[in-house]
Parts: sequence; C-alpha cells; structure tokens
Amino acid sequence: MIVRWGIPAAIVAACVGYLIYSASGGSSEYYLTVSELRSHSTSGFVRVAGVVQNDVQKTDGGLHVTFTEKDTTASMPVDYKGTLPDIFRPGITVVAEGKLGADGVFHARTLLAKCPSRFSTTPYTQ
Amino acid sequence: MTLGYLGAGTLLAGLALGGFSALLSFWAGWKENEVFVRVGRRAFYAATAMTALAAVLLEVGLLTHDFALAYVAAHTDLATPIALVAAGFYGGQEGSLLYWTLILGVLGSASLLASARLGTRLSAYAAGVLATILGFFLLVLTLVAGPFDLLPVAPPDGLGLNPVLRDGGMLIHPPVVLAGFASFAIPFSFAAAALLAGRVDAAWISHTRRFVLLAWSLQTTGLLLGMWWAYHVLGWGGYWGWDPVENVALMPWLATTAYLHSSQVQERRGRLKAWNFGLVILAFLLVIFGTFVVRSGIVPSVHTFAVSAIGPWFLAFLFASLVFSAALLIFRTDQFTSTHSAAIPTVSREGAFVLQNLLLIGVVVVVLWGTVLPLASGMVGLQRVVGAPYYERAAGPLLVALIALLAVGPLLPWRRAGRPVLRALRWPAGAAVLALGVMLAVGVRSIPALIALPLGAAAATTTVTEYGRALLRKPHTWQRLGQLVAGKRRRYGAYLAHLGLAVVVVGIGASHFWQQERDVTLAPGGQATVAGYTLTYEGSSQRRLSDHTELFAAMKLGDRTLEPSRAIYAGLGGQALTHVAITTTPVADVYVVLAGTGADGSASFHVFVNPLVTWIWAGGAIIILGVVLGNAGARAAAPELVRRREPATVPV
Repeated sequence: MIVRWGIPAAIVAACVGYLIYSASGGSSEYYLTVSELRSHSTSGFVRVAGVVQNDVQKTDGGLHVTFTEKDTTASMPVDYKGTLPDIFRPGITVVAEGKLGADGVFHARTLLAKCPSRFSTTPYTQ
Repeated sequence: MTLGYLGAGTLLAGLALGGFSALLSFWAGWKENEVFVRVGRRAFYAATAMTALAAVLLEVGLLTHDFALAYVAAHTDLATPIALVAAGFYGGQEGSLLYWTLILGVLGSASLLASARLGTRLSAYAAGVLATILGFFLLVLTLVAGPFDLLPVAPPDGLGLNPVLRDGGMLIHPPVVLAGFASFAIPFSFAAAALLAGRVDAAWISHTRRFVLLAWSLQTTGLLLGMWWAYHVLGWGGYWGWDPVENVALMPWLATTAYLHSSQVQERRGRLKAWNFGLVILAFLLVIFGTFVVRSGIVPSVHTFAVSAIGPWFLAFLFASLVFSAALLIFRTDQFTSTHSAAIPTVSREGAFVLQNLLLIGVVVVVLWGTVLPLASGMVGLQRVVGAPYYERAAGPLLVALIALLAVGPLLPWRRAGRPVLRALRWPAGAAVLALGVMLAVGVRSIPALIALPLGAAAATTTVTEYGRALLRKPHTWQRLGQLVAGKRRRYGAYLAHLGLAVVVVGIGASHFWQQERDVTLAPGGQATVAGYTLTYEGSSQRRLSDHTELFAAMKLGDRTLEPSRAIYAGLGGQALTHVAITTTPVADVYVVLAGTGADGSASFHVFVNPLVTWIWAGGAIIILGVVLGNAGARAAAPELVRRREPATVPV
C-alpha cells in the first residue's frame, strides 16, 4: 500500500507545495508599523498598523477620509476612499492596506479597524 | 458576593474531582480493576455536575445583575435585553471557557455511559484522557480566567455587551461553534485510549461514530451560522474573509470531514488504521491550536476577542497533547500492519476516499500556512500576511478537485471498479457538459467559474441518480423505496449531505464569481441601478430605540422598502454600528449599506448584488438534514467487511 499510494501522495504533496509557493509569492504583503514602513523601502501593497490621530477629515458624504496614522515614533498621512469601519474614530488602532505614494501620502485601498477587546476606555480594574 | 465564593468553590471542587477521576481511571485501567474504573467514571460525572452547577450560578449572577462579579459587570448592563444578558454566559472569555467545559463534561459523560462494553482498559483510559482534558479547563478557570472573580466595589451598572454582539446571531452562533470545538475531545479521548490499551481495531471508531458526526454537524452549522451572521451584520458584502479566526474553525472541520470518509475504509476493509488515529488527533490538536491563536492575539486578526493570559496555558496544553499523541502513535507502530496485504486499488471507492483525504489535508496545510505565516515570517524578519487571493489561488484548485471527486467517488464500487462505472458516469458527465454549454451560451468566460460550477452540477447529479436508481428498483412502490432508503439510511443520508454540499458549492461559486458592487451618493428621490436592480432613495430620518438611536435611510426596490441604518449607542461613548439592509430575490440578494449622510439630505450607499447566496444557507440545511436522517433512530447495522467479490451463490 505504501508503494502504491506513495506516488499519488507525493504528487498531491508536490501540488500543494507548488500552490502554496506560487500563491504566497504573488499575494503576500508586509505587515508593518508606521516606523517600520519609514525605515524599509518596500514596493507593492503593504499593511500598516497605527493609531488614528485627531485630524480626521471626511468629505464626499463620509466616503473619502484623510487622517494621520501614528505609532510611538513615526507618523504618516493616510488617504482612503470607501466605507469606514463602524468603530473608526481618533484613538483606535487601524490597519491600512495600500501603497505609499510619491507624494508621501499613504493611499489605502482597505481600512480595517482593530476591534478593542472591550468597548470602554475605562474598564473596571482593581 | 456569596455567589462569587460559591461559584469559585464549585469550580475548585470540580477540579479536584476531575483530577481524581483522571488519576484513578489511569491506575485502575492499568490494574484492570473494574470497581475502581467505575468509581473513576463516576468521579467524571461528578466533576461534570460541579461544572453544571457553576454554569447555573454564573447564569443566576447574570440574570440578577450581580455586578459584584467582574464578569457580569464587564459583559452586561441594566439596559441590555434579557435574552442577551443570558447569552452573556458565553459572550466573554471566562464564561465561554466555562460553557466549553460544560459541553465537554456533558458529552464526555454521554460517551462514557455505554463505554464499558469496549473492555475495562479502553473505557478506563478514555475516562482518564477525558478527565485530564476536563481538569485542564477547570484549572484554567480556577487559576487564570475565573468567571467568578469579584470586584472590590460593586458598580451600579455594568459595561454592557459589545454592540456588534447585540444581535440574534449572538444567541446561536457562539454556543454552536464552542460546542463543536468541545466535542472534538470525545473522539480524541477514545482514540488515545485505544492506542494506550493497544486496541487498534475499529471498536473505538464505531463507539465514537455518533459523537464524531455530532462534532462535525455542530462545526458545519457553526461555520455556516458564522458566515450568515458576518454577512448580515458586518456590512462588507461577503461571508468569508479568511481571517485567522475563521481559518482555525475551518481546519478541524476539514480534518474531520476526511476522517468521516477514511473511517469507513477501516470499517469496511480493515485498512488505514494509523491514518484514522492521525486524523482524529489532528482535529483535536487543531482545535487547541486555534484556541491558542485566537485568544493569545499573536496573529493579526480583526475579530473581537479578549486577549488574555490563557494563551500560554493553551500553548503548553497543545505541546503536551502533541507529544503525548506522537509518542502513542510511535509506540504502537508495530500494530498498524494490515491484516491482509492486498493494496488499495487506485480506481475504487477506497481509492477515492484516500485521494479525497490527501486533498483535504492539502487544504488544511494551505490554510495553516496562511494562518501562521505572520508568525513564521515575523521570526526571521518583517511580518508578512496573506489575504483572500492567496487562499483562493492555493486552495481553489484543491477544492475544485474535491468537487470533481464528489461527482465520481460515490459511483465507484468497493475494491475494484470495472466498466459499469463508465456507464454510471454518463449522467454526471452529461450534466457537467450541459451546465458548461449553458454558461458559455450566456457569455460566461471566467475559467474558474467554467470549471467549478459544471463540476458542482455533476456532483448534484451523481447523488440524484443514486436516489433514482433506488426508485427504479423493482417492485416500484413507495413503500419499497422507503424500506430501501431506511434500511441503508447511512448511505442515503450521506448522499443527501453530498447534495447539500453541491448546493453550497453552487451558491459560493455564483456569489464569488458574479458579485457586483457600487458606491453611490444620492439626493432624496435619486435613483441608482446596480446589476439591473433600480433603487430609489426616499430620504432619511431618526428614531429612538431601547438602548440606541438609529439613523435610517429608506430605499425603494420595486414595492419593497429597504432601510439600511446606522445605530448610535450613547451609553457606549457614541459608538456607531451599521445595520445592513438585505432583500432576497429568486436569483440574488440586494445588499445595501448606509455609508454616510450629508447636511443637504443626501446619503451615500454601498450597494452589493450577491447572486445565489441563499443557496449556501439552504445547502447547509440539506447537509444537516442528511446527517440527521442518516443516523436517526436505532443504531444502523454496522457495514460488513467487504472481502471478496464473489457471486452470492458461492459460499464464502
């Protein structure tokens, strides 16, 4: 049985390996903080996590938004067109997916809000 | 206050009983002491009773708004509707772990009740492994994630449930998924016990068959309910995002799907013994791995889970289970040699099962790699993540091959397939060609769609022809047909489940390949047309509801009115929540999200047209119906071993 099924198993394993290799080569993206984006030159789409600052500006009925995303040391302006996550507001952590333009503005094509585990800024603690 | 002490004490008593049951069961099994084996089992029942008591106490605390309990204060408030207060039991970390422990105890007890006939050793070791797992959960509940932890001062009101969770979906999705996760421990415990006892025959498989089916059905339902809930609540127009949280629920399901098929090869042909142990162990390890990934927050996810201290505990438990299982498998290698040496023929029912298993495990590997890539890449450099395109490209071809196998496999006979199979294949092949022709005629040019959907049609045709063949068998009476289907209900139930899966495949395929979306901003009276559906915006207004205010926009589609809205929860610092409006027509869902409103009365919408999404939910219902009908009533006779293909007149 091992001999008879070794070959099909090897073929399936090789296919799976090839599929993973080819698919992750084309579509994996870097997941960075703002400072990591600043210190590494990357081409293509990246995801950048950071905290939304107090300069959110909405136009076009809320479908176009600009704001600054910041981590402990670095910040960057973000430009996003599309539906905003419900919990989007200054102070929350977002993950913007897109490209850093030549104008120094990060053009996001998707914007994900990291859900805080609890929905209060002052949980009861001892 | 008292409630907190009572609850914590109850959990501690449960922990002591669980530990006692584990130690006694292992020792008594080793010594083959029947009396102490029975005592060990009863200690497990008692630990379960303690867990149930703790669950009742927590529920009492929730319903009486006992805000001295940190858990009650953190997950409910006075304004929350009572059904959701009750659901707060599994709405948070500690409560959901207690719920998990409860299900583990109840199902574990049920599986131990009739286990004595498996022999002293096997039943004792099964109780020992179950009690160890139960003990681990009770330990975590006692030491790190206490649902009965008290606050120094009881606040006047609680914080309330996350608004995303204030939904009917909250009442059904989490308990089903968590029960599914908990139930994978039962087949694992009996598999480990069989290895410990050196009983690698199919006894453990037939004993746990219904528990495996229960685990699989719960997980199927849980996945579909999760998709349904995400689709109706999250407002991005889809139902599956390949988020780690979804992936870790999918992987044990895939492994168990493989096991449901490969276990038949052991029952019917006495083969694949080691493989079956491996699959059951894999499913359990994937559940623990998933819990670790989700609750430790080490992988980027958008889901709402409390990141807490239980991560390292589950990691340690994962390692312990992994080492324990691997050691058992290696220890029993000598027993896995098959009783008869004939190879599994490539073109046969068992050959199809083996190929299906390889493909399913291939999908597990693809999903696992995508899930852990951020961890793996983070260790050697910058973190990298993959999104939906990776999963579609890597898992897509494997899933297509699986659908093809769904069309061919059921037609193959056990042992070796001959010419009649080619004749039987003409119906599904004809259906595939017909579907392909129709799709080409209406102008479909997407290659993946042209492969996947005709194969789905072929798979559906295969199961329908199996029912057709039963119908054609003489004499043609309904009574006769009923007897035939009832007599082989395992088989016909499985065909029904296959049919449901084919329906799900068509629904997923259609909504995946032909979803249309558009962003529109309309003034009152304005119209927009998406995929042939004309929507008229009539204006927006506000209304007050019990715990929130709602800004809603009225949209006309023919004579129906859609009301997408945004809810504002004043009690939670003005947190907003989008309510999607969905209307279902025979061929598609029209799905409208209110993105925002302007000062001039205009409003922006995100409109999706999702074809055949309802087929996914309907197909899921057919799958569950098939599993239930196939296993209802008295235990069906175990299928006999297929050894020879000889005419029935020749004495065997």
